[in-house]
Amino acid sequence: MRELALVGFIALLSGLVSYYAIGELGTFSSVNLGLGALALAIAAALGLHRLRFTGGPLARRVIGRGLLGIALALAIAVGLERWAAWQGLTFDWTFEQRYDLSEAVQRKLAEICSGDEPLVALFYFDPEDPRKRATGLLLETLQRAGPCLEVRERRIEENLAEVDRYAVGSSNTVVFQLGDAFETVPRPMEGTIYEALYRLTSRGVATLAFLRGEGEGDPERTDGLGYSGLAAALTTEGYQERILVSASLSEVPEDVDALIVIAPERPLLPQTLDALQRYLESGGSLVALLEPGRESGIEGLLAGFGIEALDGLVVDPASAPVDEGVRGVNVLAFNYAAHPVTAGLNRSRMTYFPGVRPLHLRKPRVEDDVQRVVLSSHRGWVSEDLSWLARSTGLPASDGAQSDYQTLAAVGRYPRDGKETRLVVFGDADFASNRYLRALYDLDLVLNAVHWATQRESAITLRPKALRTSVQFPVPLTSSVQALYGVGLLLPELLLIAGGLVWLRRRRS
Amino acid sequence: MRPLWALVRKELASLFGAPTAYLTLTLVALVTALIFFDHLRLYNQILFIFATNTMGGFETDTIPDHVNLWDTVFLPVMETLGLTLVGAVPLVTMRVFAEERSRGTDELLVTSNLTPGQIVAGKFLATFAFVTLMMLVSFVYPATAIEQGGLGVLHLASVFVGLWLLALGLASIGLACSAFTSNQLVAAVSGWAVAFVMWDFSWANAFIGEGLAQLLNQLALQPRAIAIHPRYGAFAEGIVSLANVAYFLGLALVAAAVARFSFDLRRVNG
Repeated sequence: MRELALVGFIALLSGLVSYYAIGELGTFSSVNLGLGALALAIAAALGLHRLRFTGGPLARRVIGRGLLGIALALAIAVGLERWAAWQGLTFDWTFEQRYDLSEAVQRKLAEICSGDEPLVALFYFDPEDPRKRATGLLLETLQRAGPCLEVRERRIEENLAEVDRYAVGSSNTVVFQLGDAFETVPRPMEGTIYEALYRLTSRGVATLAFLRGEGEGDPERTDGLGYSGLAAALTTEGYQERILVSASLSEVPEDVDALIVIAPERPLLPQTLDALQRYLESGGSLVALLEPGRESGIEGLLAGFGIEALDGLVVDPASAPVDEGVRGVNVLAFNYAAHPVTAGLNRSRMTYFPGVRPLHLRKPRVEDDVQRVVLSSHRGWVSEDLSWLARSTGLPASDGAQSDYQTLAAVGRYPRDGKETRLVVFGDADFASNRYLRALYDLDLVLNAVHWATQRESAITLRPKALRTSVQFPVPLTSSVQALYGVGLLLPELLLIAGGLVWLRRRRS
Repeated sequence: MRPLWALVRKELASLFGAPTAYLTLTLVALVTALIFFDHLRLYNQILFIFATNTMGGFETDTIPDHVNLWDTVFLPVMETLGLTLVGAVPLVTMRVFAEERSRGTDELLVTSNLTPGQIVAGKFLATFAFVTLMMLVSFVYPATAIEQGGLGVLHLASVFVGLWLLALGLASIGLACSAFTSNQLVAAVSGWAVAFVMWDFSWANAFIGEGLAQLLNQLALQPRAIAIHPRYGAFAEGIVSLANVAYFLGLALVAAAVARFSFDLRRVNG
């Protein structure tokens, strides 16, 4: 029996060594593991069988009680672990809270799981990839939030046909399948996975039109000054986009759910403004992003709806200098009115407006509803003289201007023609440009504004941040060496001295 | 309780009265420091190569995202440290029961007013205390160096908790093995072997087929669930899960029951 156990033990270890060394189960490791486990099982059975016939009843009782103790401990251990797993109590102690799923992801998974089609995540990896474990944990977290998600692990070298089919470019890539549709996520993080899930489920839910032709922000321009990031995010959230050329615009097409106007540099033609006026009077929706110092005519149109863009620039001394700018001019906003557009935003979820003009509100008709949604701090004031911007980097003097909460963004609802016209106006356009879109909660604010304007309130949410912070700066070798000498070598030295002294004392005694 | 604590004190005094304990602590601290320093040096070199090749410097997006302090230095070091523990901890635990047996002093213990359960508990507690000290010593250098890199303190704490629980789990396995033999070498080798078998159980999936594996997965009964490495890995990634804590505590409980059983066997076999 002992010989059989020894042989089984060695066979099992040989199989494991082979498995760990090669990273897969070959014939050698399979045969060894199988035979080793079998030999150990037989040896254990023989041992138990022999115990039955050795010793008297007292011995058997003692052995039985011991084995019962082990079984009881095993049952308690398994029960404790299962109970803990069922409780699902997990703490995410990562710096970026990488495994705390945002409400947006949880809602999206719940929405998918309430449907009929199964959601499958195919996880392609190289076994040696150190990122594999983190992605595996993230997928497990997603599975907990959405039990319908089925995760299938795939080694890249064993699934080359699938790799080709789904355009998997590298290890650590996840492909999400929902019915016939699929989305490939090359850098699986909560943010990128959320975008993939959104693209899978929300295609063409509404149509947006960007006004172009008079120097407006360009949704196709990909550098920092462009708005391609906003356009891509809107596509992800299910919108179809089109361009309307302002010079040839006589009517806004009926199928446009909302119009987006990004800070025109030149005045719009009168017929364009008339078309916009008719569109809004007949229940259309508009999201306008303005810029300080620009007058294109759209300001007058908005004033007719009770949202007046004032001249000047908001200076908020509560905002520290950001992006090498003048203090107070690049406003960090943290005051929000309760409204769907600002849902979830609070004092710790700030938005960033690099140069914003103030808005003034009045109610055009008694049934209209005009509301400010994003405000500066109570120390904000308006500077109409912008010449100091070129001269100074310090906080400009207010010159007696009154400090108060300044309106940075406003919304309006207007019953018109049996429908409801919705307006969202921002005193700044840069905040949604490629350069600043992902700063703080700017993306959430502008996307939620579009959702509200198109009456898709159910899509309003705070999105997970797409990027993961990673420390990529070098740790100076000199300080590492100092730490190695100071801690890494000094500590072993002291321990060795202590050990040597103990040894000498033992020898003497 | 008083006899139990007397036994714990006696075990600790016996551990620290011999140079072996200091030698083990020295080795663990030295190996950790050298492994960590080597990875840090390699990381700095990789960064400089990328920065030089791309003329980009460190503030641009020219360095691949997987080259960072966490993925390139800390996680590989923790992986290596985990494996180092598989090798080092049985060296600490091998003598705990086996030495008593070979000297025959276990008979004295059994005839004292301590029950076998108390003897096992006392030896486990003393070993756990030593292993805790060992982990503190091994973690000083990585913590000092990582602190320079500005990584999250909570994440470091999670990694430490994981390493500590792993060390306790491995110590429990080693103690259970030590309880069944009077030969310290056999105790150490069997401790390594059992820890090695339990390290990663993914291979078992190959024997049960994908269909059955998926079914077991749905029932949360997959073979991988009893493997040590994935449990420890979750801590290294910054996830502190009650289920993983319960797993290591359960492992200690079962190992203690197995060690307790060795006293029953001795009563029967003499």
